Amino acid sequence: MPIMQGADLHGMQSGGLLSAHRSPWRLTALIAVSLLVVCAGGMVQLGAGSYDMSWRQAWEALVDPHLWEHPSRILRLLVGEGMADRLGCERCDTLPTSTLIVWTVRMPRVLVAILVGINLAYSGSILQAVTRNEMADPYLLGVSSGSGLAIAVVFMFLPGLGVHLPLLAMVGGLTAFAVVYAIAWSRGTSPVRLVLAGVIVGAIARSVETAMHYLAQDSSALRDATAWTSGSLIGARWEHVLMVLPWTSVSVIVALCGARYLDILLLGDATAKSLGMSIERVRFLLAATAVLSAASAVAAAGMIGFVGLIVPHMVRGLVGSPHRGLLLGCLVAGPALLIGADAASRLILNPLQLPVGLVTGAIGGAFFLILMRRKRDFGRL
Amino acid sequence: MIQKRLHANRVLGGVDLTVRYRPERPPVLDGQTIDVPIGRVTMLIGPNGSGKSTLLKTLSRQIAAERGVVILDGRDIATLSAREVALSLGILFQENQAPHDLTVEELVCHGRYPHRRLFDPLTAEDRFAVEQALTLCGAGPLRDRPISQISSGQKQLAWIAMLLAQSPHYLFLDEPTTYLDLPHQFDVMNLVRHLNRELGCTIVITMHDLNLAARFGDHIVALHQGRIVAAGAPEEVLTTATLRTVFDIESRLFRDEQTGSLHCVPINRIPAAGGRPR
Ligand SMILES: Nc1ncnc2c1ncn2[C@@H]1O[C@H](COP(=O)(O)OP(=O)(O)OP(=O)(O)O)[C@@H](O)[C@H]1O
Ligand SMILES: [Mg+2]
Repeated sequence: MPIMQGADLHGMQSGGLLSAHRSPWRLTALIAVSLLVVCAGGMVQLGAGSYDMSWRQAWEALVDPHLWEHPSRILRLLVGEGMADRLGCERCDTLPTSTLIVWTVRMPRVLVAILVGINLAYSGSILQAVTRNEMADPYLLGVSSGSGLAIAVVFMFLPGLGVHLPLLAMVGGLTAFAVVYAIAWSRGTSPVRLVLAGVIVGAIARSVETAMHYLAQDSSALRDATAWTSGSLIGARWEHVLMVLPWTSVSVIVALCGARYLDILLLGDATAKSLGMSIERVRFLLAATAVLSAASAVAAAGMIGFVGLIVPHMVRGLVGSPHRGLLLGCLVAGPALLIGADAASRLILNPLQLPVGLVTGAIGGAFFLILMRRKRDFGRL
Repeated sequence: MIQKRLHANRVLGGVDLTVRYRPERPPVLDGQTIDVPIGRVTMLIGPNGSGKSTLLKTLSRQIAAERGVVILDGRDIATLSAREVALSLGILFQENQAPHDLTVEELVCHGRYPHRRLFDPLTAEDRFAVEQALTLCGAGPLRDRPISQISSGQKQLAWIAMLLAQSPHYLFLDEPTTYLDLPHQFDVMNLVRHLNRELGCTIVITMHDLNLAARFGDHIVALHQGRIVAAGAPEEVLTTATLRTVFDIESRLFRDEQTGSLHCVPINRIPAAGGRPR
């Protein structure tokens, strides 16, 4: 066929990670810098605290051969005493104090920061594509309302259920998402309907929550609830790591496999459908993944704001909107931002610790201020 | 891959189609039957709001008919999956959106979507279809340009290239020439002719330019207020009487010696009072 001879087939060789023209060095640089921040912030977190250690001591505790040569001791730290006794793990009594502190208190906090950072960044990226709205964040579809309400109910009325708070917060968030989807559904959904339904559920839930705070007799319960809702990594333990990890894995796998679907969603519902996408099914699965990811992050660390909004923004600005690059960038940039903010939250008012949510809020505000002043076409996806 | 199409078993048509966007409003299409001639270029003409886009969307399963069936290659289109439809039918909408930094090449690659499964990378065959589509549309030199930074004419060609990468047998184009200057209009229409004559695609186009419709269409369907008023060869449909009913215009028609195709000179609008009610 004559027309084929003219075809320029140079493109056939390209087929790397990103399409030919998007230079991969930006993504590489982003990954390198983020990893650096994660390591530096992580070391700060391992060394800092009421039991003061130098970085060297912290490092030695991290690689302590007393642990690494006895894997069953590591297992004991991971699964907790009760389970460890049943499994017959070696005891950890003989370990040096610094090792114990690093391994039971400080390392889980760093790991939770990494996982929650990934979860929020992925949740934000997915929801920004699903709603075709650059301002979408992980809490858009009811997660914050549902979790917030669940938390308030537990603190005010059911303090006995406090130990199950993470689980209840997660269930609350997922329930609210289901309500949002049901409200938005009428022979199919659309991005606008979803966002509006999220606003409706959010408004009602917030009123109820505020009313409960208002009526609350016990002001300490109020304080606890506020600490939760502002988001904090203080008190993160191995159980939190183990709780978030499965959801992080699920959302990373689903999102990376679904990168092409997310790209197609950005072309609009009609085009996506004309290309053969079962749009409602894809949209629901992706939204549900994002919400699971956000709800599990809330369960582990409360409602840390702005990470899920600014990380996808920053990464998109650097590597562009195609989701393969965007999601790979978010995989390291999310943890970097959260660990950086957490290290800052510890250092700013040392020895006092701020909830990390306050720091990310301030970073988020500053970020958008700069972006708005610098970019005229800001706000278009 | 875009190849010469075989026409055996190809059928596309709608029987007794009634479409309504809102239950309380009268139907936008009211019991219409249409047969799309295979291997031909069909032009849908009609005034704004006459239901051209609605008819295209119904025939491509974008919207479901309240009554009636659409038959695609011998099967009721409502029983096919979105992917099955996409493998044989592609549609370009009147308005399109894309992230502003998406490049032309990335857009065209998205056209391969229905051919790929969950984990499939872009195969050599996919790349080949993309390159061929870019070349056919003359969009090769634009491949690395962001879609938001090219002209409307170039944008239209990029979107058509995406459609070609999808490599469907049926191509629906909703007003592909509307915002284009004359040279770009001819680029698009010559491409349409090439796709039809050389590759055997069946093409349906909505269009406001009657002269282009007459010159490049083998078959013309005239719509007026959700009804198909006339359908047939250009000389059967483009008559002063039909144009009066469909567009409310007085016109003169003649055959151009050189191109051999019909031309329409609109003279004036028929005053509303003397026209039809509603
Ligand atoms: N999404 C919609 N919701 C409600 N009514 C609609 C919708 N789309 C079209 N209509 C109505 O259906 C009728 C036919 O519209 P359609 O878009 O099919 O016309 P058209 O012939 O393509 O017009 P144009 O030349 O302006 O593109 C119009 O009266 C329009 O108001
Ligand atoms: Mg139209």
